[in-house]
Amino acid sequence: MRTSFITQRTYTRSTGLKNTFGDFTCVNCRGFVCADAALSGVHNRNHCPYCLASRHLDLFEAGDRLSACKGAMLPVALTWKRGLKKYARPGDGELMLVHHCRECGALSINRIAADDDNALILSLLNGASALDSATLAACAAAGIRLLDAADSHLVTRCLFGQN
Amino acid sequence: MNPFLNPGGPDTGVVVKKITNAYTIRAGEKTFDCVLSTRLKRESDSDPVAVGDLVRWNEAGQIVDVQPRRNQLSRRSAVPMPGAHAHEQVIAANLDRVVPVFSAANPKPAWHLLDRYLVSAESADIPSLVVITKMDLVEGRPEADEIRAVADEYRACGYVVILSSAETGAGLDDLRAALSGGLSAFVGKSGVGKTSLLNAIEPGLGLRVQATNRATGKGRHTTTHLEIFTMRAGGAVLDTPGIREFGLWDVDQADLALFFPEMRPRVGRCKFGLGCRHDQEPGCEIRLAVGRGEISPYRYQSYLKLKDER
Repeated sequence: MRTSFITQRTYTRSTGLKNTFGDFTCVNCRGFVCADAALSGVHNRNHCPYCLASRHLDLFEAGDRLSACKGAMLPVALTWKRGLKKYARPGDGELMLVHHCRECGALSINRIAADDDNALILSLLNGASALDSATLAACAAAGIRLLDAADSHLVTRCLFGQN
Repeated sequence: MNPFLNPGGPDTGVVVKKITNAYTIRAGEKTFDCVLSTRLKRESDSDPVAVGDLVRWNEAGQIVDVQPRRNQLSRRSAVPMPGAHAHEQVIAANLDRVVPVFSAANPKPAWHLLDRYLVSAESADIPSLVVITKMDLVEGRPEADEIRAVADEYRACGYVVILSSAETGAGLDDLRAALSGGLSAFVGKSGVGKTSLLNAIEPGLGLRVQATNRATGKGRHTTTHLEIFTMRAGGAVLDTPGIREFGLWDVDQADLALFFPEMRPRVGRCKFGLGCRHDQEPGCEIRLAVGRGEISPYRYQSYLKLKDER
């Protein structure tokens, strides 16, 4: 089931999704996070730049705020999202964080932001090997390919540029 | 003769029509036009008489006494600016049924408004009957499936939901049967088809209706007063003007979950018992039920929204 614009079932739809992304206190490290796009480089700041933790708030689509779980979602691994260009070069696309809900086990992938801690992101390269078999199976079922040490050049290039 | 409109007392009648400060009272087969007595006006800050009230009046055509109400459907009055003082606005009294009317399209249904009506009716201990009109406008389109899915959600909560069309006549027999006893109040936004539905279920009323605005898709505020109409099949229906805002009145935040029938059995079973606010508390039975799919996430979101509003 998906929400749609037809019936405006969520309050967020009547006021626009932009209003659902605001400043927040991190559920994991308790740090204050400013959601201003000028700082983070993204309009949908959905995780903490210091510890990369997020919160399970969305159910059907980003920004719907329909989840009742509200548990902490910790970053567990990295994945790669291919761009929309059909004939793009291998490696073109976007580096994404994989978040895993501590309460209900839900998985989600999220864009990294400009002010995220790069060292922490790099440390997640080996995160896939630490995951339990159930989470790995859930990732595979959701079509999420987890990056590992073999993809380090891709991640480094994405985080620090070509050289 | 409708038993509701025949209260029995010699000088007692039911308020069946209200236009600003003018009231029409029906006693038996007769109707009387009345105004408020000075004493009643002085005793109350707001309007002391609502449609459906049992009242006594004097020879001068003044309402002098309002009998105790069985129940009343109220809303928080709309205020001219945020923070302004709001007061209770009684829409109707002594109701047997609240009928929130929503259109399948033109204007689009605002489901959060439906939850407000239902909570308000639950808090006043009045049964509800949900009616979706203008189904002919969406038949064969994806919206029809979505509306049926939403209707099933509300049926699962224990509400009766009737999908109808005044144009094709679909669902009208079910609606007539459901309204055949007691006093029902049609409530809903302007342009959803409350009066058209009334014209369809009771041919001959000939009430004035208008098409919605083609540019904005909104209603044109055609019905401007409250009036009770008796049905040939039995029962009576109160037609109301379109309601743009419906703020809850006299609903305690701590009791709010009790007015959601699907949440009611779970109240008190949370880790923090009756102190749980069902928002972020660990071990909350209601949140767990939403996660298990036993409570609609949209209804839960409505609950949170209404709770924060108090």
